[in-house]
Amino acid sequence: MECIRLEYDVDGNNFSSAGNASDSVKRTLKQLGVSPASVRRVAIAMYEGEINMVIHAHGGRAEVEIYPDYIDIYLKDSGPGIADIDLAMKAGYSTATENIRSLGFGAGMGLPNMKKYSDEMKIDSTVGVGTTVFLRVKF
Amino acid sequence: MKVSEMVKKAGFAVFTKGEDRDIESGYCGDFLSNIISRATDACVWLTVMNNVNVAAVATLIDCACVLLCEGVEPDKPFFDRAASLGIWVLGTNDNVFEASKKVAAVCGV
Repeated sequence: MECIRLEYDVDGNNFSSAGNASDSVKRTLKQLGVSPASVRRVAIAMYEGEINMVIHAHGGRAEVEIYPDYIDIYLKDSGPGIADIDLAMKAGYSTATENIRSLGFGAGMGLPNMKKYSDEMKIDSTVGVGTTVFLRVKF
Repeated sequence: MKVSEMVKKAGFAVFTKGEDRDIESGYCGDFLSNIISRATDACVWLTVMNNVNVAAVATLIDCACVLLCEGVEPDKPFFDRAASLGIWVLGTNDNVFEASKKVAAVCGV
C-alpha cells in the first residue's frame, strides 16, 4: 500500500532539538486531516520515544510510515539496550540520573506512556547493541 | 478569555508571544511525561521548570500559554525556541498555588 515515509536523525547530544521529529510528524498528520485526538496520541508516544533515545542512547533514528488509517513508527538506536524490559515498562521505574530529572524527565512514565497512547508496541533490545521500538497508532 | 487579556488583568510578565488564543483550562506540573499525557488543549500550563524542553512540550500539548512561577525566567535556549515556535511564555513571582488561583479568578476556569 502507498504510504508517506519520513525519516529523522535524532541528535543525542543536545536537548534543544529533542522533540523536532515528533513535532514534524504532528504537523504532517494535521495537514493530512487526521483527527486532533489521534494526532495527539501519536505526538505523545513518539515524543517519549524520541526523548528516551536522547537520554539513554545518544540519539538514534526515527522512521515513520503514514498510511490512511494508521501510522507505524520505528525508533532505532545503538544505545546500551534494555536488560529487563518488563521492569522498564513499570510505571515509575527509571534509570535517569539526577541531572536528567532536573530537566523534567525521569518520572518513569516514558515507556508506559508510549504503550498507553499506541495500539501496538514492540521492543527489541539487546544489551550492548541497541534497541528498536515499534509503535503503531490507529487513527 | 484571550491570553493577552489575562496578561493585562493578572499583571503577568511576558517573555515571548504567540497566537492569542482562548484559555479553556489550567494545568500545574513539572514532570514532562505527566504534562504531555494529562494537560488539556488550550490550557495555561503553570510550572517552575526552566529549560528548552518546556518549549517542546508546550507545542506538543497545544497549551494556550506557559506561566513560569516563583520568579523563574526562561534561559536562552528556551527563550529562543519559544520565540521561534510562537509560544506565549509568561512569568510571575507567585508560587504555583497562588498563580493558579489568580488564573482561575481572572479567566473563570
